[in-house]
Amino acid sequence: MDFRYTEEEEAFRREVQAFIKETVPPGWLGVDPGPEEESREDVYPLALKTWRRLGEKGWIGLTWPKAYGGQESPLWKEMILLQELSHHGVPGVDVSSAQADLVLTFGTEEQKKRFIPPITRGEVKWCIGMSEPDAGSDTFAVKLRAVEEKDCFVLNGQKIWSSGAHHAKYEVVYARTDPNNKHLGLSVFIVDLQSPGVTMRQIMQMTGLAPFCEVFFDNVRVPKENLLGEKNGGWAILLHAFGAERTYGLFVLYNAKRYLEQLVQFCRETHVNGEPLAKDPIIRNKLAQMAIEIEVGLNLGHELSWLAMQNQPTVKASSQIKVHGGGVAQRVANMGMQILGLYGQLSEDSKWVKIGGRMRHTYLGSVGFTLAGGTSEVSRGHIAGKAGLGLPKR
Amino acid sequence: MDFRLTKEEESFLKEVQDFLDQNLPDNWIGLDPDGHNEQGDEELHRFDLEFRRKLAARGWLGLQWPKKYGGQEAPMMKQFILEQELIYRGAPYWAVSAALMIGDTILQFGTEEQKRRFLLPIAHGEVQWLVGMSEPNAGSDLANLQLRAVEEGDYFVLNGQKTWQTGGHYADWVCLYARTDPNVKKQKGITTFLVDLKSPGITMRRISQMTGHPAFCEVFYDSVRVPKENVVGQVNAGWSVALFGVATEKSFGYWLINSGRRDLELLIRYCQETEVNGRPMGKDPLIRSRLAQIAIELEVGRTLGRRLHWMATKGMPIVAEACQLKPFGGGILQRLANLGLQILGPYGQLDEKSKWVKLRGRMKYLYLASAAMTIEGGSNEASRNTVAQVGLGLPRS
Amino acid sequence: MDLSFSEEQEMLWKSARDFLASRCPKTVVRQMEEDEKGYVPELWKEMAGLGWLGLPFPERYGGGGFKFLDLAILLEEMGRACLPGPFISTVVLGGMPVAEWGTEEQKKEILPKVCEGKAIMTLALTEPSARYDAGSVKVKAVVDGGDYVISGTKLFVPDAHIADYIVVVARTAEKANPEEGITLFIMDGKSRGVSTFVLRTIAGDKQCELTMDKVRVPKGMVLGKVDKGWEMVKKVIEWGALAKTAEMVGGAQQVMEMTIQYAKDRVQFDRPIGSFQIIQHYLADMSIDVDSSRVSLHKAAWMLSEGIGCTKEVSVIKGWVSEAYRRVTAQAHQIHGAIGFTKDHDLELYYRRAKAGELFFGDADFHREIVAQQLGL
Repeated sequence: MDFRYTEEEEAFRREVQAFIKETVPPGWLGVDPGPEEESREDVYPLALKTWRRLGEKGWIGLTWPKAYGGQESPLWKEMILLQELSHHGVPGVDVSSAQADLVLTFGTEEQKKRFIPPITRGEVKWCIGMSEPDAGSDTFAVKLRAVEEKDCFVLNGQKIWSSGAHHAKYEVVYARTDPNNKHLGLSVFIVDLQSPGVTMRQIMQMTGLAPFCEVFFDNVRVPKENLLGEKNGGWAILLHAFGAERTYGLFVLYNAKRYLEQLVQFCRETHVNGEPLAKDPIIRNKLAQMAIEIEVGLNLGHELSWLAMQNQPTVKASSQIKVHGGGVAQRVANMGMQILGLYGQLSEDSKWVKIGGRMRHTYLGSVGFTLAGGTSEVSRGHIAGKAGLGLPKR
Repeated sequence: MDFRLTKEEESFLKEVQDFLDQNLPDNWIGLDPDGHNEQGDEELHRFDLEFRRKLAARGWLGLQWPKKYGGQEAPMMKQFILEQELIYRGAPYWAVSAALMIGDTILQFGTEEQKRRFLLPIAHGEVQWLVGMSEPNAGSDLANLQLRAVEEGDYFVLNGQKTWQTGGHYADWVCLYARTDPNVKKQKGITTFLVDLKSPGITMRRISQMTGHPAFCEVFYDSVRVPKENVVGQVNAGWSVALFGVATEKSFGYWLINSGRRDLELLIRYCQETEVNGRPMGKDPLIRSRLAQIAIELEVGRTLGRRLHWMATKGMPIVAEACQLKPFGGGILQRLANLGLQILGPYGQLDEKSKWVKLRGRMKYLYLASAAMTIEGGSNEASRNTVAQVGLGLPRS
Repeated sequence: MDLSFSEEQEMLWKSARDFLASRCPKTVVRQMEEDEKGYVPELWKEMAGLGWLGLPFPERYGGGGFKFLDLAILLEEMGRACLPGPFISTVVLGGMPVAEWGTEEQKKEILPKVCEGKAIMTLALTEPSARYDAGSVKVKAVVDGGDYVISGTKLFVPDAHIADYIVVVARTAEKANPEEGITLFIMDGKSRGVSTFVLRTIAGDKQCELTMDKVRVPKGMVLGKVDKGWEMVKKVIEWGALAKTAEMVGGAQQVMEMTIQYAKDRVQFDRPIGSFQIIQHYLADMSIDVDSSRVSLHKAAWMLSEGIGCTKEVSVIKGWVSEAYRRVTAQAHQIHGAIGFTKDHDLELYYRRAKAGELFFGDADFHREIVAQQLGL
């Protein structure tokens, strides 16, 4: 057993850190991972720039086959890249990779050649079309209909909570091709969001940002070459997607680490009635508790990464980290708010704001961390079930 | 709105407090309301018996019962005041409560003959009772009980076993739930029996708990004959008797909270008196904050308990409210015990007979004992189900 | 013991609930978050007409002569409705101190206006150190002829920007014990040298920076005794904390009801999600938080109404609700899933107010310290 990174890995880490330093503006306080904050007017240009630069460095799809623009790098390289990007709160830590993974796993040669290279070049964003108003945790309750015609499928219905759809070119849409079989009646399509019949509505979140969309499909014609995998074979893609979703909990933990560092610095520098906040026993205790939970979570994350690199099943570990990470992030946000006291309430453009209003943002945003990408309840079910603790189903 | 007791109630409370001052030893550390301590320790058991007789001599057992059965026909509030004060002070009370619960059951469902026969001895503190409900396969799922009772002439013949029988080895009688009809829906084939534990065919095996006290028994029934006149209520109608019995155990969560007050006071005194590096522990900011948090939870729980009692005196349904207090109380005691051990540091581990022990090992005992408190008398999970379904109207799982 | 409301109290909350349901819909709540003043003047007038603004004040000044418990009942409904505006600032932080310690002249001048909805008030206590202890009061007030002159900055002052009268807590003497040498002043909000600036806060409430540049307050507007103000401030902190707690309890109750309904309505996996055991347990725990908060609030409010010392009880309940309301809203979000995360959904209004309420007049750590003192530690 050895918990250290190799010299090669450390060297790559330093390379990434240098890249980040060149990419983000000085004094960058960071944003939370994912499309949430990316969509902000003042952040999106940076996200686009980062995405392109990552593409230029060949750092998108590091592990993908060279034939499609990847580097065939070992998994550890991608892990380190994502760790650093989320630790420093760099926008552009993108979920498109997850959809690309689906194409690489289930796509035809033609599809891989067509879709993957633009992603690796950082030119194109994708999004997911899975949830619907009546299909949240119950993913198989999808109703959006795909009817096969002679030379295409025709899609009717709607999706909701599609992150970043308003900036995306393609959406991976889970649609019902067989209305009589709940679990074996779904197919997956790659839909060009510019297609006629596609409309969108951005949904404002409690954070004050609107990164999610409702996407409406009104007789949208999707060419048959855009069917991913088998017709009615969507279940296999769904299962793979759940199992491959390894990174969300990790992002959230590395992100929380940054908040802790900012809070520690704040507490060292801020004096109240002559004493630095860092000397207050109650505050010290809170900070220490946060540090413990983050550290433990990151260790769990290392285990997850290691399992993935060994090609071992990761459903249980990734579910654990998803649940734990989300909870830790919420507690960090809350403790951070408590440490800032009355100041925590202030919005980022307020004259008296501290730490750029980051705690307030994440206090609101972290509510979603135990919901998005699979709720904690569903994740706990995975941990308890046959992929994890082997407890019987109801 | 008025949170105060009436003058009459205040003076009764004072009577009870005086009684306790006279009849509890000095520096009494106190017992938990679940009876595990005194039912698992010979010396404490003797104290329990003696104390019970003194309560009986004051006419305080079965306060609400009709006078002809040894009661005082006192209002419900008086019973609550007595109970809460006894528990707060850590007086032995569990056996009394079990007997009272069974007495209430007999009052509700029993024949005149049964009332005359069984209630007076309870009011006189002369008989210790067992509640014969749990079995190896019937815990939260009580209706799953399997102990069989077969009708034979003037008797029923019992075969099977009960478990987690608190103080079984000291008990005289058991109010037992057995299956009289295995061919109908579980709840519809249960009958309630009053069984003399001296009957031939009854054997017991003591079970030791993680606290080190063997307070529980498994009780085995091998062709035990019970006369028909010992059936309470109708044959096969025992489930509603069981539910009634369980409902009267309404205050257990509140008991835990009141008992916890005494333990917190113990900890606070300790922190006021114990110095570390020249400063009383009570001045340490983290310790202050944590003790205050327990105080807050106990105070909030106590007020919720007062509300429960008030609702009961008004005849309002309280099943859901009682079920709220159960997980709440159990959780607080666990946190209290944990904090106690954190405050005592390495001393907390010491056995009560150890030369260096603090607080006579009370925190260690409570830490172990409190593991049961979110399970016994209705597990947290079952309690929360009831709160959700009965209280909040959510559909059955 | 009697835990029921009187008939009058039943009528009070029922009529308040109906009134606010129709006159303070969530559209108004959201508008006021962006609005400069933060309240609807017509609504304020109506509330005055209903006697709400004068509820706890003696009838001879135009008040209703009600007690704090009645005020708490009203505040619960306000919390349920997320009523925006300077109600607590005016009635509790400003009006009650004047009613309690003011001279006859001060009461005659100020209270009738408050009752009629013609004067808005607030209390300026916290400074940039953002603490509620006496040592943090550093803004000075110096005698100059027949006036005091006050200079300095107060921060997080609710509704200072619209206040006609601001009760300012200032230091008039430096003593070894920081609790000595503090005086309360009733400052005219329009005085020369007063400038205010509304801070943008998480709950959209109007907390202000208040800068005083040699503001003159006549000696006749000293509230209570010179240098002896801290005892009064401690009481106002109790009142403010308890008033906010009442609002929080009302909000928590509404959040729970909303969430129970959602759990019954939302179908996934072919069944209402409220039939899943984990959701039932979440809601059971939520009900413990809500019900325990409510009855403890009533107890403390009743004690205050009866003149029974309740310093400990107030800190118990504020310390408890500060965390309980937050738990309730966080759990409600978890149960509501994605839909509860949208700006459109009402739930986020409560989540943000739960955080603001937690901080108002002492968070859990602050009140735990008071409880610790009350325990003799």
